[in-house]
Amino acid sequence: MPVEVILPKVDMDMETGTIETWHVKEGDQVRQGDTIFEIGTNKAVMEVEAPASGAIRNIKAETGVPIAVGTPVAWIYRDGEAASEPAAAASLPPAEAPLSPAIAGPSAASGLRATPLARRIARQNGLDLKAVTGTGPRGRIGEADVKRHLEQPPRCIPAQEARPAPAPAASPSEGRLQPFSAIRRIVASRLSESMRTAPHFYLTAEIEMSAARELLRRLARRHERIGAPKPSLTVLIARVAARILRDHPVINASAEGEATRFHERIDIGIAMERDGDLVVPVLRDAASMDMPAMSREFARLRDGMAKRTLTPAELGGGTFTISNLGMYGVDSFTAIINPPQGAILAVGRTLDKPVGRDGQIVLRPMANFTLSSDHRIVDGVAAARFMAELREALENPEVLL
Amino acid sequence: MPSDTLEAVSEIRELSYAEAVREALGQAMEADERVFLFGEDVGVYGGAFGVSGDLVHRFGKERVIDTPISELGIAGAAVGAAITGMRPVLEIQFSDFVTLAMEQLVNQAAKIRFMFGGKASVPMVVRLPGGSGTGAAAQHSQSLEAWFAHVPGLKVLQPSTPHDAKGMLLAAIDDPNPVLIFEHKLLYKTKGHVPAEAYRVPIGQAAIRREGSDITIVGSSIMARKAEAAAERLATDGISAEVIDLRSIRPIDFTTIAESVRKTHRLLVVYEGVKTMGIGAEISAMIAESEVFDFLDAPIVRLGGADAPIPYNPVLEKAAVPQEDDIVAAATNLVRRGEA
Repeated sequence: MPVEVILPKVDMDMETGTIETWHVKEGDQVRQGDTIFEIGTNKAVMEVEAPASGAIRNIKAETGVPIAVGTPVAWIYRDGEAASEPAAAASLPPAEAPLSPAIAGPSAASGLRATPLARRIARQNGLDLKAVTGTGPRGRIGEADVKRHLEQPPRCIPAQEARPAPAPAASPSEGRLQPFSAIRRIVASRLSESMRTAPHFYLTAEIEMSAARELLRRLARRHERIGAPKPSLTVLIARVAARILRDHPVINASAEGEATRFHERIDIGIAMERDGDLVVPVLRDAASMDMPAMSREFARLRDGMAKRTLTPAELGGGTFTISNLGMYGVDSFTAIINPPQGAILAVGRTLDKPVGRDGQIVLRPMANFTLSSDHRIVDGVAAARFMAELREALENPEVLL
Repeated sequence: MPSDTLEAVSEIRELSYAEAVREALGQAMEADERVFLFGEDVGVYGGAFGVSGDLVHRFGKERVIDTPISELGIAGAAVGAAITGMRPVLEIQFSDFVTLAMEQLVNQAAKIRFMFGGKASVPMVVRLPGGSGTGAAAQHSQSLEAWFAHVPGLKVLQPSTPHDAKGMLLAAIDDPNPVLIFEHKLLYKTKGHVPAEAYRVPIGQAAIRREGSDITIVGSSIMARKAEAAAERLATDGISAEVIDLRSIRPIDFTTIAESVRKTHRLLVVYEGVKTMGIGAEISAMIAESEVFDFLDAPIVRLGGADAPIPYNPVLEKAAVPQEDDIVAAATNLVRRGEA
């Protein structure tokens, strides 16, 4: 019997996935473990390997169309198996048919209201209706809402539209049209959603980094001794933030409808760049790790990201995010909250600057930290208290003892 | 609608709905001696609503027969006449009285052709003046067409214009099956272009009275006319309504409704009969069950008669059935706010 290739469940709460790219075509010979297609979830893009060796036949699934988890998308025929095996005849429902609750027909439990036409258009465009704001009665999403969403920049370009070569520019001055990658599409949709729904406010603190630098120097020696990766400033900030967040539950929280979800665990996402795309691997239960453990975990995530071996679970679900652009010489910046989190910390570069100390102007390494908070759940004073403690801990790390 | 050729030969003239029905009866009786009229006061009195008029003088008492006040008797005699080769056209003075003729219409007329394996047919036509708006109270104002649309073997028509009243009556007389034509009493005096020659309007084809893109309004009989007037007003408010006149509710032209809703994404069904378990429920369900479901951008809305006997008080009588204002309001709400 030919081996069925199904759309795998690569994430806990995944109900559908979209095949972003087929790496093989009808009749190609594959070996077990070869990448045969890339699948997009609402968090990330994953490569899917061939479950067996043989010839790929009966590719049933189109790219860019949401498909229910477990749906057969192709078959692998081993040597000697005729292409007319009955299994091949087992037909896949039309790619449009298995409507995922997440994409096209949210379950009643999700509370999402949308008209049949809105669902149809969303389905055709590979659009997750959760990203659309409904303006109808009781928040119902109608055709107009979906069309408005699809038209607004940054828009979610459906994969089937993205597939053809960039349209010829009307005039050379218009430049090149680069369709969004799957990740870019996710980033665009999630961050637009964040900016639309979460009222952001920003608190900036200029923090002296002398003690932190000294601490990193000493830790580096210790890590070398015990065989842990060299500690980075980002990891140190994550470690400090994780420690402080324990005392600031409202910063480690999410807005959920008209309620605040206080997260039991502190999972810190670290914004990173991969091939021009933004990805956010997560330091799970960061408060439980010491510096060597966190440095090891950070190194593992960074390598896994580069090799694309991280699972969607490792790339999402954080409760707080840190974005450090200091290494690019950025002085300070404001970041967009990574939904559904409640806050994100933006770190600028450390620069020797003249500051007043004991009536004297002296040079000290200073860095700007800007906290973006969702004002629905975090008030100014709560955010300010967090920043005050962050300053104290970075300037006098012994307070963490 | 008349073809270009017909237009060319027929003089453009206006007739009232009642005159158009009378003209059809006269032409059918002239053309076919098997056709005869049957009913209470259809002879010398000319019919309770003056529809048969002078026909008794033109065709004599043998062919325009005044009957006793017994709807069951009239219907039974008509069924018998039809089976034996005649083409009876009977009038139920007020459609409400058809309750008395139910046995003959539902158990006999509708079934005979099937129960005798096609060896007998019942080519009879029943004309039923119906509807509210004349101050005739609960027993003389009902819209009972949906009852009969539930019966296989019957055809149920509701022409809304003088043109259709004539053309559909002639088509009904030709038809080998029992056909019920519900004529709204308020339409009898409305006027419209009616070609002079005998022509047929096919049974089972809806008419698109007005094309539109924002909402489909489906109605029959007087509700089609009210929907047309409402669409006119909606247009001045920037809402483009497509108006479908069903003309026939059994058989029903589902294709025309479906194609329209596929285009407009919204459906409002308007009917004078009691809303509950009515024509609107059937049309709504047909759309919801069909592939057009995926093209709906708002709930389907029904505007139907109140769940109450038609009141005698003229203000309440008007309030008990959908009026032009109600159609405008419901359509506006549906298009602008997506609300049912």
